Amino acid sequence: MEMQTRKEANTTVATITGRLDAVTAPEYEKAINELIAGGEIAFVVDFEGLDYISSAGLRALLATAKKLKVKGGQIRFANVKGTVKEVFDISGFGTIFQMDDSVAAALARIL
Amino acid sequence: MITVEHLSKKFGELVVLKDITIEIKTGEVISIIGPSGTGKSTFLRCLNLLDQPSGGSICIDGVNILDAKADVPKIRQKMNMVFQSFNLFSHLSVLENLTIAPIKLRGMNRQDAEQKSLELLKLVGLAEKADSYPDELSGGQKQRVAIARCLAMDPEIILFDEPTSALDPTMVSEVLSVIRRLAKEGLTMVIVTHEMDFARDVSSRVLYMDEGLIYEEGTPQQIFEDPQKEKTRAFINRVRSFNCQISSPDYDLYAMNAEIEAFCEKQILPRKTRQNLLLLVEELLQIYTPFLQTTLLDMTLSYSEKKESLELVLESPGETVNPLDISLQPDELGLNIINSLAGSIDYQRVGNKNRLTLLMKKS
Repeated sequence: MEMQTRKEANTTVATITGRLDAVTAPEYEKAINELIAGGEIAFVVDFEGLDYISSAGLRALLATAKKLKVKGGQIRFANVKGTVKEVFDISGFGTIFQMDDSVAAALARIL
Repeated sequence: MITVEHLSKKFGELVVLKDITIEIKTGEVISIIGPSGTGKSTFLRCLNLLDQPSGGSICIDGVNILDAKADVPKIRQKMNMVFQSFNLFSHLSVLENLTIAPIKLRGMNRQDAEQKSLELLKLVGLAEKADSYPDELSGGQKQRVAIARCLAMDPEIILFDEPTSALDPTMVSEVLSVIRRLAKEGLTMVIVTHEMDFARDVSSRVLYMDEGLIYEEGTPQQIFEDPQKEKTRAFINRVRSFNCQISSPDYDLYAMNAEIEAFCEKQILPRKTRQNLLLLVEELLQIYTPFLQTTLLDMTLSYSEKKESLELVLESPGETVNPLDISLQPDELGLNIINSLAGSIDYQRVGNKNRLTLLMKKS
């Protein structure tokens, strides 16, 4: 997995590509946690380039989302589709997280 | 008719036949099936002494043909062989190919030999090719001539060594139909073949050979529909397997993924199936990770080409525990994914091992 981040107004857009699995999930969690520790509380995660996610990846998403909630922050997911979307649906994540069809749509909904 | 006991054959250090014991009765049609290199052809060649057995005995009508005093040419007349590569005499016409042995070995007069040979050529549908030369015939026609040549010696038994393996697929059926006809007429035959449908139809008994042994034998129904032993089942269902052992919680997921991908590539499995399989394996390994501190995990992935099914078997020694037990999981995420990808999940305690068998849903 690779992650690139950019700032759009007060929101951090994190673009992740490749695989979010047992090996890479800790990297994702660490990177987002560092941003949270640096004071970022609004995130849009762009899944456009993500080909694979396992339960380890889902747990990392959940853990960072919980951390943000405690801080009064928010996170939205954009471009969740294909096999990644299927795994979201199987595990019921589709209803837990706020998802949008594009990064722009997600940014527009960040409060 | 033929009693083979404890037959063995070595080529130098290589043991090809370990211990073959079988009785072949008059009128039986026996098909020998099994993977390449398991001694099927060697067994046939030992039966008519084209290869000298290393041990055991072969008795034909009570006479041990491995006895030094045995009359080998006479034995070969009783027990003729059809080869994969026809082995016709290319400088002789079709008719001469059939008449040469009866005239030279049995002292038959030319006129009788030719008359009989023409009848046999009719039987295999090649009477009009009597004056042709082997080079003028197709592969299927050559093999039918070879069968007629065998019959010209009035053998009591015919050994067929992969009679259709060298043929273009379009010519296989013409040869098989001749063999079927001979089977109906009650000729005793032993046929090494990879033509499974043919073996199922024509045989009175099927031998599955593996590891230099008759690994399993039975009626075609028993062997093809309800094989009892693991290797027979794998062969009949055209199962290809990939096995790996995981001995540490720090296993290399990507190296394993690469091996599984390579296995899927070989079986030409669709991309979606591969993705689902990789996900299923990762979820299972995550669930097994706590156990890997103290135990080994043996994982076998099997693809049945016949059933188009993928099966995963995970075995680990240790205390009786179903690793998928919900009370052992930190959450339901992994289990939900596994349940959605697997069509069936079965846990069994086998000996001192916990065995999970998962059949993947078809994607």
